[in-house]
Amino acid sequence: MADEAELRALLLKGLAGDEAAHRAFLTEAAALLRAFFRNRLRSRPEDAEDLVQETLVALHTRRDSYDPSYPLTAWMYAIARYRLIDFLRRAGRRNHASLDGVDVGDVDPVYEATDAKHDIGVLLGQLPEKQRKAIQLVKLEEKSVRDAATETGLTESDIKISIHRGLKTLMRLMAGEGAS
Amino acid sequence: MKTDQLIDMLSRGVEPADKPRWKRKLAITLLVGLVVGVLLVAIGLGVRPDIGAARMPVMWKTLFSAAAAVVILPLALQLMRPGRPLGWRMGAVAIFFALCALATIIALMGEMPERRWEAWMGGAAFPWCVVLIPVIAAPTAILLVWLMRAFAPTRLTMAGAAIGALSGGIGAMAYAMYCPTDSVAFVTTWYSLAIAVCAALGALIVSKFLRW
Repeated sequence: MADEAELRALLLKGLAGDEAAHRAFLTEAAALLRAFFRNRLRSRPEDAEDLVQETLVALHTRRDSYDPSYPLTAWMYAIARYRLIDFLRRAGRRNHASLDGVDVGDVDPVYEATDAKHDIGVLLGQLPEKQRKAIQLVKLEEKSVRDAATETGLTESDIKISIHRGLKTLMRLMAGEGAS
Repeated sequence: MKTDQLIDMLSRGVEPADKPRWKRKLAITLLVGLVVGVLLVAIGLGVRPDIGAARMPVMWKTLFSAAAAVVILPLALQLMRPGRPLGWRMGAVAIFFALCALATIIALMGEMPERRWEAWMGGAAFPWCVVLIPVIAAPTAILLVWLMRAFAPTRLTMAGAAIGALSGGIGAMAYAMYCPTDSVAFVTTWYSLAIAVCAALGALIVSKFLRW
């Protein structure tokens, strides 16, 4: 796994707009976060993966809150810890709903490694139309921001803002889903 | 969706991140909060009638309140973003309020014993600033919540308290235009307490609105 200096270099490149570096940062971060959450939620690996995904979206949408003059891991784990506390608070509120009698079935180890309980595809469908459309076109259909703007009749900055807001809404939906 | 797919989605077409310009945003927020506070005082309470003659005391009370805000500011700035140490910034706040307590004692020692109570209470039955400053601070607190939600506070109770205290300092600056009491011991005691009340309210209430 990557160390502080490597991770930091990747995030800073990502902040400058380097897509490959940003992907590498999120991939390395996901591995560290998985270890972090699994250590703390031993009995519930699928909750841990939910939190990994939630935290990845948080790291991505809040990446401008990182200040290069401070350690990157402190920043990353502060966010991870915050998501965990938020999760436990939600879980505490609904702990009257017992998990007894829930058939979890056989565990497929490969499946378990990367799957979360919530389905982001479904959650995306719950976003406001403009945000959903912007994410759909640019993030899923791999269109450029310019093409997405032409297709929707919005301005390019409108598309960018909609993506950013949409991802923030998505994280709230990911977090809120556990509460229902 | 698998985590790998999520990572693909997040990183696809990533743009250079904007510089957050948080210092400028914070400065504007505090300034707007101060203006709203001043308007609240001017309309709701009225500027003290002898403001011309009382320029000096009004000014020192405003400066005292501004100093409190300036001391709390570095703490609030750290708490806006994840994983930043508080270190000396907590110490600075503690030292400031310890100096306030010291100033209160020295000022009261300088009074004749029979006048001490009056100097401390400002001749009033109840130090209303403890109630009024939090009210005047509320708009600033709301603006600060709005600003801070755009960042990523992770210690919400502390961040709420810092927002409360900071807006309390701003509220006290505005309140100084109305406040009819000029004794040093009164201000160092009750203004400080008013700011502490703001911090407590912030920890209890404001923190609830910082969740993200």
